[in-house]
Amino acid sequence: MVFEPFEDESDFELLADKLGEDDPAVRRVAVMDLADTADPEAIPLIASTVKDESPEVRLQAAIALGEFDGLATATALCLLLQDTDNRVIQAATDSLSELKDPASAEPMLDLTSHDNAKVREGALLGLKQLRRPDAMANGIEAMKDPVPAVRIQAVGVVGYLKAEEALPALIASCKDADPEVRRTAVGALAFSRSSHAKDALLVALADEHWAVREIAAEVLGKHSEGLDGQKLMPLLDDPYWQVRVKAVRSLGKLRVVEAVDKIGSQLDEVTSNLRKEAAAALGEIAEKSALPYLEKLVDDPDPDVRKNVRWALGRIG
Amino acid sequence: MPLANTPTSVPVVVDDEKCIADKGCTVCVDVCPLDVLRISDLTGKAYMKYDECWYCMPCEADCPTDAVTVNIPYLLR
Amino acid sequence: MDDLRAGLNEVDCDVLVIGGGTAGPMAAYRARKKNPNAKVILLEKANVKRSGAISMGMDGLNNAVIPGHSTPEQYTKEITIANDGICDQAAVYKYAQNCYSIIEELDQFGIRFQKDENGEYDVKKVHHIGTYVLPMPNGDTVKKALYRQLRRARVLISNRYMATRLLTGQSGRVAGTIAVNTRTGEFLVIRAKAVIMCMGAAGRLGLPTSGYLYGTYENPTNSGEGYAMAYHAGAKLANLECFQINPLIKDYNGPACAYVAGPFGGYTANSKNERFIECDYWSGQMMQEFYNELQSGKGPVFLKLNHLHKDTADHIEHILHTVERPTRGRFHEQRGTKYADKMIEMHISEIGFCSGHSASGVYVDEFARTTVPGLYAAGDMASVPHNYMLGAFTNGAIAGEHAIDFADEVDFEEFDETAISLEQERVLAPTQRDDGLPPNQIEYKIRRLVNDYLQPPKVTAKYELCQERLAEVREDMNTQMMARDAHELMRCMEVASILDCADMAAFASLYRTESRWGLYHWRSDYPDSNDEDWKCHVLLSKQDDAMTCEKHPVAPYIIPIAEDEKDAYYKQRITAQA
Repeated sequence: MVFEPFEDESDFELLADKLGEDDPAVRRVAVMDLADTADPEAIPLIASTVKDESPEVRLQAAIALGEFDGLATATALCLLLQDTDNRVIQAATDSLSELKDPASAEPMLDLTSHDNAKVREGALLGLKQLRRPDAMANGIEAMKDPVPAVRIQAVGVVGYLKAEEALPALIASCKDADPEVRRTAVGALAFSRSSHAKDALLVALADEHWAVREIAAEVLGKHSEGLDGQKLMPLLDDPYWQVRVKAVRSLGKLRVVEAVDKIGSQLDEVTSNLRKEAAAALGEIAEKSALPYLEKLVDDPDPDVRKNVRWALGRIG
Repeated sequence: MPLANTPTSVPVVVDDEKCIADKGCTVCVDVCPLDVLRISDLTGKAYMKYDECWYCMPCEADCPTDAVTVNIPYLLR
Repeated sequence: MDDLRAGLNEVDCDVLVIGGGTAGPMAAYRARKKNPNAKVILLEKANVKRSGAISMGMDGLNNAVIPGHSTPEQYTKEITIANDGICDQAAVYKYAQNCYSIIEELDQFGIRFQKDENGEYDVKKVHHIGTYVLPMPNGDTVKKALYRQLRRARVLISNRYMATRLLTGQSGRVAGTIAVNTRTGEFLVIRAKAVIMCMGAAGRLGLPTSGYLYGTYENPTNSGEGYAMAYHAGAKLANLECFQINPLIKDYNGPACAYVAGPFGGYTANSKNERFIECDYWSGQMMQEFYNELQSGKGPVFLKLNHLHKDTADHIEHILHTVERPTRGRFHEQRGTKYADKMIEMHISEIGFCSGHSASGVYVDEFARTTVPGLYAAGDMASVPHNYMLGAFTNGAIAGEHAIDFADEVDFEEFDETAISLEQERVLAPTQRDDGLPPNQIEYKIRRLVNDYLQPPKVTAKYELCQERLAEVREDMNTQMMARDAHELMRCMEVASILDCADMAAFASLYRTESRWGLYHWRSDYPDSNDEDWKCHVLLSKQDDAMTCEKHPVAPYIIPIAEDEKDAYYKQRITAQA
């Protein structure tokens, strides 16, 4: 007896017939089988279900289209993004973010000022991954959106494009009312070496939200040229140790000699992660004046702290 | 020596109301790495036939109708 | 389904890949890409969509060598040192040079790695010597994305076929494989010019402390067929005594992934809330420290996140509970443990073979070639040490590309056709009995013996007793094991692999009369390392139907390691004065 050992080749005619069945569960299974083929021939068949009366079938179509790419896929997904059912919208958003083909951007560009905020958010998320320069204007416009979740995605689109001309918009978003928008915008400044970006980052060091201060301290560590590293020193008194860790790290990277004593005082912290980073930073700065601080910690109960102390002592030599 | 039937409480539970295996869906049976799910000849619905579960979750995650629940096997709970 | 049917089909192909988990799909994909006219078959015991160690995905890379963060030279040095110097660097170095392009390729497949707000890879710093951690916030899409690429590349996928033995020709070259359908018992003979084995770890060797046969650290489908089949085909297996033992969430038996929590400030602590691990890298040394702490008055051991800001702890919890082993969240929920509030109890895993985490695997060179001509191996079952997921992808790609070129140069290898009927007879033997022992009972007994006698510390007298017991079980298996349907037949075949692996674990461990790799090979009657006699590989193989071991020199280093560089690790490992 001979049997077929390989996965079935796709029978599109049969699957198309199933899409015409009365039972929505049968149509749904057909959509799943179409997705499984990974054959572009399946795209128009799946796209034919975006107005199916059953939300489950439309949901399955939104998931299924994530297996494909290109303009036709994006067009169908953009229709599903405007669905009335929230599950369909979410699935369409997820699938849009999977697309890689730059041609997929076309239908999304039309939706960044849609009435429904979920649609705007989904379209921007899709655009972000595609990094098309012509999406910049849409992104900058959407950075003024009334809904924070949309503004976060808008900052994402612009941040991924890493363009100096978008700096004014990104810097403006560093003062957004929503802390997550501010955090994203501050993080997006990492690419720029301009003094405007640097100034905005220094302002963000005093942000009221700890997560914004944390990322500002981290990003500034990457800005070595022309930065007065001492401006990071006040963060060593931050009530959040997470912020202090990033500040210590960046002060070490920037080799801010003036910070040695203040970093040394972090070595008395209860949080051993902070002691560890402080020891490492003192090693990076490699100033003799750090020796007394480090020597106190040679027998720290935390092995990671001890390792960093040894390493730092070795560097100061 | 004859074999006994020792009962075990199986970790994977299928909601028959939601399951569409009788409409041609075989997703959970297909994706199980240990191949322990089957579709019942009696009910047309999926069920756990063998108690050999890694509680890994593809059956639940990939079920289109949220009919499958993976519990932690009792011995580990 | 499951009813046994008689049937035999024969197909042929240029390259056969056995195992559709991580390395396998990449091998098949790259083979097809390099030669689009070639016939490539991917054979899988389960279903490629959700098979293997990463069936639900992965939450991060912990050995990503990314320009600007670490160098291939640095990485090669670290792995050499973590492996106590017993390391053929060529394969490690090649991995380190190639893995970044694999990351970019996976990214194109739609497997997204963590990026910063400018879309650059967001590599996390863990310690000074190198930076290798790259989180994968959407790591749950890995298998889906791979499957999509395989379908697009028109790789022939054959699901639910379990390979049982390799076919080899007169010259010793590989000729193909015999496989059995796990739902019908029908046979498939595949003739191939080259075969790539990507069959995963031997993860069903020890018994988890829960006593549940399938509650293993590794996906229990990874039952060691690759090791057993390579052995029976005459391939050499390296350093099997270097067991895999990992730190896990107690009872749940899933990875604790302290490396995911590390960049956020989480760590492994003892019951006094203190960090105690001195070793930087996941290694036998680290596991020894873990084991010692568990045995000491300071145990048990915990994953500690409750000192972090609640938002941070919740964020880590979210990552750990959604990817790789998503039922982990359910486990903790049932016990009412929140990472932000409470330390999470950890334990050590059962033993296994897995080069991905240690160094026990089928011996391969930098092109993934085994010692059998035409036979390749990649992923957890191949000997490239500390390879993890990215290593499986990278070495799978290397194997696929080399094998397709090899296949282009050669014709099919002739083999003795009687091998097919003999193998059918062997496989079907349990179905010919209507009275006997079911596979689950035999399996439980083997794995219970492994725990009783083979778990480190390794004691010679216990090992010898174990060999006697295992021989008795083998006799039972050969004469009494019985299968009532195709599913049970699959389990019977797995039991045979598990027993082969247990025998190999005992034999290789007894051969190396020293201790090395921390807990992985801690022989209490030879407690010290002996570089003079044992700074070499141990290769195990089948010669004249008997198990043998030989010493094999470590290949000369490509990246020399100066004494003071070793010190860079060890000097920092000074313990605190009491």
